[in-house]
Amino acid sequence: MKQTRQIAILYKVIFVCLTVVPVMAGLIYALLYSFGIIGIMNNGFTGKYWIAVLLSDMFWVSLGYSLYIALVSITISLVFALSISLFIKKRNITISYLFYIPLCFPAVVMAFYSFQLWSKSGWISRIIYQIGGIKEISSFPDLTNDTLGFSIVFTSVLMIVPFFTILFSNLYHSEKLHELKKVAQNLGASSFQILIKITIPVLLKRSWFTICLFIIFVMSSYEIPLLLGKQNPQMISVLTMQKLQRFNLNDIPQAYTIASLYVMITIFVLTLLSIGGIKKRFITKRRAYA
Amino acid sequence: MKKLFCSLFIVLFFACGKEKKENAFDIAEASWKEITAEAKGKTVNLMMWTGDPKINAYINTYLKPRVKEKYNIDLMVSSGQGNTIVQTLMTEIQASKTESDLDLVWINGETFYQLQQINGLYGPWTSKLPNATYIDFDNTFIGIDFQQPVEGYELPWGNVQMTLIYDSDKVKKPPMTRSELLDFVRENPGTFTWDNHFTGLTFLKALLIDIAGGKESLNGDFNEEKYKKYSAELWAYLKALKPYLWKKGEVFPEAVAPMHQLFASGELWFTMSNNDAEVDNKIAEGIFSASARAYVPDYGTIQNSHYMGIPQIAPNKAAAMVVANEMISIEAQFHKQDPTVWGDGTVLDLKKLPNTWQKKFEEQPTRKYAPKRSEISKKALQEIDPEYMIRLAEDFRKNMIE
Repeated sequence: MKQTRQIAILYKVIFVCLTVVPVMAGLIYALLYSFGIIGIMNNGFTGKYWIAVLLSDMFWVSLGYSLYIALVSITISLVFALSISLFIKKRNITISYLFYIPLCFPAVVMAFYSFQLWSKSGWISRIIYQIGGIKEISSFPDLTNDTLGFSIVFTSVLMIVPFFTILFSNLYHSEKLHELKKVAQNLGASSFQILIKITIPVLLKRSWFTICLFIIFVMSSYEIPLLLGKQNPQMISVLTMQKLQRFNLNDIPQAYTIASLYVMITIFVLTLLSIGGIKKRFITKRRAYA
Repeated sequence: MKKLFCSLFIVLFFACGKEKKENAFDIAEASWKEITAEAKGKTVNLMMWTGDPKINAYINTYLKPRVKEKYNIDLMVSSGQGNTIVQTLMTEIQASKTESDLDLVWINGETFYQLQQINGLYGPWTSKLPNATYIDFDNTFIGIDFQQPVEGYELPWGNVQMTLIYDSDKVKKPPMTRSELLDFVRENPGTFTWDNHFTGLTFLKALLIDIAGGKESLNGDFNEEKYKKYSAELWAYLKALKPYLWKKGEVFPEAVAPMHQLFASGELWFTMSNNDAEVDNKIAEGIFSASARAYVPDYGTIQNSHYMGIPQIAPNKAAAMVVANEMISIEAQFHKQDPTVWGDGTVLDLKKLPNTWQKKFEEQPTRKYAPKRSEISKKALQEIDPEYMIRLAEDFRKNMIE
């Protein structure tokens, strides 16, 4: 018993060393750099980089734009993933493997694919031109590098839908939704009521935290908005890398400031969500006991 | 416990031994013969841009076997452009590392400026190389990099000039002046742009020099007064172009590679390159159609050299010097200039070469789709102070993108 407990502690220590420590070390490094404490070009403690970032529109516009792209991408992905997973319902190994395929493509490959598909000289434009839908290829609308981020959303959806489809399909079985559906039917519920009141709420509730993590994942994506996005507004990772890697070495502390601020906001939001989730569970339990 | 102390002692003993060995060889005082002897059997880690198959082939199939055969040096290449090199060396210096992971780096003026800011380069060292005697360091396109004298801290490896590339099937008479360019984009909206990176900025620098009065008008240190005056004119001109640019000038290709792709697919009628031989390379690779042509407008384009630098804390400086010396050997430079190999302009002064080699260089087959180097070099502009580029990049964003 004692030995099992020791092994469990050892695993926890290894986990913390491999995951928490490097991330925290990176964050501390970024914070020190952003306050001018470390860094070859820095001359000691200063808050000027934080003031510059906090007072500039650049960061907030970028954060807002990243959130917009993430919310739109995730909402569309969830609609598609729910529809597909409810349509498939039964476990089908062949279809599951087919869904895994898009997950194998790196983001940059998917971004290039979207560029080839949606640019003015891309496949869609050429097909429409060939069938007489447009008079000139140049009259095809701007769907890459556009303000609404159409091709960024499209590529993100392509990458996210397979994951959520597989997740929802597995949840459908693990939550025994098929049996719940039968019970509801016996009690006189219509198919629409079952879908709205049982199936979708259960699937979304069970995957709520994963959805939040995916919103953060899309907000932080780099390759896709780099190739398919505009230079203004920019998504947060592109803005950070631009400050980090462009010609002016004096911009590097600002890059670390943006990165630190974004991580802090993310951690804050995730903590709020976790506290919310715990409170909700506590209230539900109390109601159940009452 | 005893074992632990023994192990620690052995580790410390060998660590000290290594230090002694390094210190014993003073490269600054060593003769070339001693440097060559020290270099034998070493491994040189070269960090360079690896985005061009022809350049990679030149390194892998020509240079690597040569240094292995002649000096038993293993040349290892790792991929990384200017910003990666700067970030790597900055991190190493910040971490107080005594030995870099890199021995040799392929850089241009912008990176040279940044590396000098962080004192990241070793030097002076180029005068030690026997083959450096063939280089004319008084040539302003070689001995001065972004208005900074190289002063032995970087070794010129190749020389190129920026060209604009157009599709001759669609563009019968390419615009040669700023006003012709404005007229052209008005007549053919959406067919012209520049990238939001180094090549695009090099194009903007040429326009700025033209506005300032042409060649040499912005030579010397950064001049705030001049910049404010001429850049205001530049933004006014670019704003006049903006509605007629690709995507109405609301977005610019992020780098030159996506711009080449847009040109290859026909969406753009123009692209640009910092390497005057690139049009031939891209046609040979089947990326551009055979109707692609390179040219230099009347207002000129920037000509610059690219260089090799040795990091301040490079562990194998002697071997790095030997490899660099081989890179500027007559044979290696001749082979590199062959358009079917790479087409990169030589940094050697032909007048300093033996007659047989002078003749060989002169008779070397030239490129087909770009004007001769001797022709375009008449319109060559010198790189201006790096501060101009930093300010142009910032103000371009403020004036044209935001």
